[in-house]
Amino acid sequence: MTTIHLPKTVGALALLGFALLLPLVIQDPARQNFLILILMGAQLGVAWNIIGGYAGQVSLGHAVFYGIGAYTSTMLSLKLGLSPWLGMLAGGVVASAFSVAMGWPCFRLKGHYFAMATIAVAEIVQVLVTNSETLEGAVGLSLPMGNTGVAAMVFSTSKLPYYYIILGLLVVTVLASWAIERSHIGYYFRAIKDEPEAARALGVSLTRYKLVAIAVSSFFTAMGGSFYAQKEMFIDPGSVLATGVSIKIALIAILGGVGTLLGPVLGAGILITIEEYSRVLFGSTGSGTDMIIYALMIILVAVYSPAGVMGLLHELRRRIPSLRAKAEVRA
Amino acid sequence: MKAWLRGTVVGAAAVAALGLVWSGPARAQDEIRIGVIYPLTGAAASTGVELKAAAELAAAITNRELPAPDKLAAAVGMPNLKGAKIKLIFGDHQGNPQVGATEAERLITSEKVVALVGAYFSNVTATASQVAERYGVPFLNADSSSATLTQRNFKWFFRTTPHDDLFVTNFFAFLQDMEKKKGVQLRTLGLFNENTLWGNETTKLEVKLAEEQKFKVAEKIVYPAKATQMTSEVQRLKAANPAVVMQSSYLGDAILSMKTYKELGFSPQMLLANDAGFNDSEFLKTLGKDGEYVFSREVWALDQAERNPLIKRVNEMMKERSGVNFNGNSARAFTGVAVLADAINRAGSTKPEDIRKALQETSLSAEQLILPWKGVKFDAQGQNELGQGIIVQVQGGQYVTVWPFDVATKEVVFPMPAWDKR
Repeated sequence: MTTIHLPKTVGALALLGFALLLPLVIQDPARQNFLILILMGAQLGVAWNIIGGYAGQVSLGHAVFYGIGAYTSTMLSLKLGLSPWLGMLAGGVVASAFSVAMGWPCFRLKGHYFAMATIAVAEIVQVLVTNSETLEGAVGLSLPMGNTGVAAMVFSTSKLPYYYIILGLLVVTVLASWAIERSHIGYYFRAIKDEPEAARALGVSLTRYKLVAIAVSSFFTAMGGSFYAQKEMFIDPGSVLATGVSIKIALIAILGGVGTLLGPVLGAGILITIEEYSRVLFGSTGSGTDMIIYALMIILVAVYSPAGVMGLLHELRRRIPSLRAKAEVRA
Repeated sequence: MKAWLRGTVVGAAAVAALGLVWSGPARAQDEIRIGVIYPLTGAAASTGVELKAAAELAAAITNRELPAPDKLAAAVGMPNLKGAKIKLIFGDHQGNPQVGATEAERLITSEKVVALVGAYFSNVTATASQVAERYGVPFLNADSSSATLTQRNFKWFFRTTPHDDLFVTNFFAFLQDMEKKKGVQLRTLGLFNENTLWGNETTKLEVKLAEEQKFKVAEKIVYPAKATQMTSEVQRLKAANPAVVMQSSYLGDAILSMKTYKELGFSPQMLLANDAGFNDSEFLKTLGKDGEYVFSREVWALDQAERNPLIKRVNEMMKERSGVNFNGNSARAFTGVAVLADAINRAGSTKPEDIRKALQETSLSAEQLILPWKGVKFDAQGQNELGQGIIVQVQGGQYVTVWPFDVATKEVVFPMPAWDKR
């Protein structure tokens, strides 16, 4: 076993080292910000993948957990002066509790119907928050600018702290995902995804493990939401509870490859890059070119690699040895 | 597994390499770079493109590429900077607050802009301006109306447009002016607002101002937005018999309420609407003559061009360049860039701190603007104290300016004639 695992560990450490050093090489704040956006997308994709990928329950309403995270930490910070570090955990707990309450009835629905239910719940919460006086409704909440520092998780112009916080959050999320993948729960998840009837016949409680999956997934999604609030310092229903947020989270994981550990990370790298570059290059013309390119790229991936970019890489790896073999035969 | 991981590493490296390629263009020394963030794609793209055209017109006038009336604020140019040219660098926020913040950061750090203008959507203005605040770069907001934006005590944030609270305050000033002018009593109000955030906030403020200024709220109805029938609400209004109905509605409800008023023969002395549905181009198309005599608030109206040759001239330039007339949004975007250009010229420098000081000392008069304001002068929180809304009235199928009286183009028709006497 060790002979197989060693290069994998080395590779993972190399990747982490690369990520740690990257912002020291790329010092332009706009580019550092771009890297942060990728890490934010990756973290959300990995979190979504736990329920949407491993357990195969496609959620198109993850904005609700993202929003709960953002609102919980922000409200705790504004009203009680609680540090966002704790607020982030509180947001995760609230989102998990909410997801279990939501999952209990919704997991009776199968396939597309579950996805539709998640959209409905997200829309309802968006409307409720928009009309909530306590949460300042559509006006939104602003975090005070003056209070900077590690405890307040607000940094004036340096991007580095934000980069390392979100990198840390991504690593934790990936580790949690990895632990699940290797444990018996991970096998249950995959059994639920592929053969729910067979899994039930073997004594796996479908509802219980689906609830475990969504609780973990929503916990990390909410932490991502809290991070967003700390970075942009302003939240409103339109920015953290919008349908577009849900779609983007799911898209990142699907594009990268569902049910794979690092697929969502790759998906975020590709999706955010396309999004940012097409906008910077073509967006200011006002002709909508960036949106067309963005859509085209997604359609291409969907058509030619439905298993995501990760699937494409697997395919390449399978083909390359055979190509090599053929070349040898010809020689 | 090794190849699989290698693939990931290569992918990550490729992404990082792309990040390195992203480089700012070479730039001339004597240009003043201003970042402009608007929704150029997405649901509000058509508005964004108009805002962009208006900002470009203001820059072209400042750069003396077009001859413009001397009095106009922008026509002064940049004599204190040896005639340096303004270059506008546009960013597209797509109506997304996070994209707005990302664009602000890119414009400040990669494009090295000396100031930012934007962003139309209040929530995008909120995130983009906090980036400007962090970097210490002036952010001039010309067109977001959420009152909270100037309650944040930002040092680098300036807003030229009046905000929502000021618009509601204007209603009461208008009513008092009307009382004086016509020698009537308009002290009983019927508040009729929709029930989303906007309607609720408006109701609260109207109740507060009515109390302060000794108006009596005879009836207060908050109805569900997108209502399909309003008979009972209108009956309640009719029973309360207020002199003035103050109404905030989106398009569908605005049309429905007008039809119900006619059906039930309810005509108060004055129907005073809060923009939105009542100013939508579909409103008069659907109602035709039944939309006559309604009052509504606006920030700008095309008839201002008839009143003032300077506005007429600038509107013609806009029409020539982009094929459309000014409207409330584009006139404000134009003014935003003009106010910023004026400050940069007075600062005689492109250092953000100098521009901020100059903005704080801005003092433009009504004759230098294309908006019906008293001028531009910022208070300590960066809000323009001299901005005001206007009241328009539907007369002969057109929205004509009737208040403030000094910028009015037509006389007020008052009271609103009863439905059977039209």
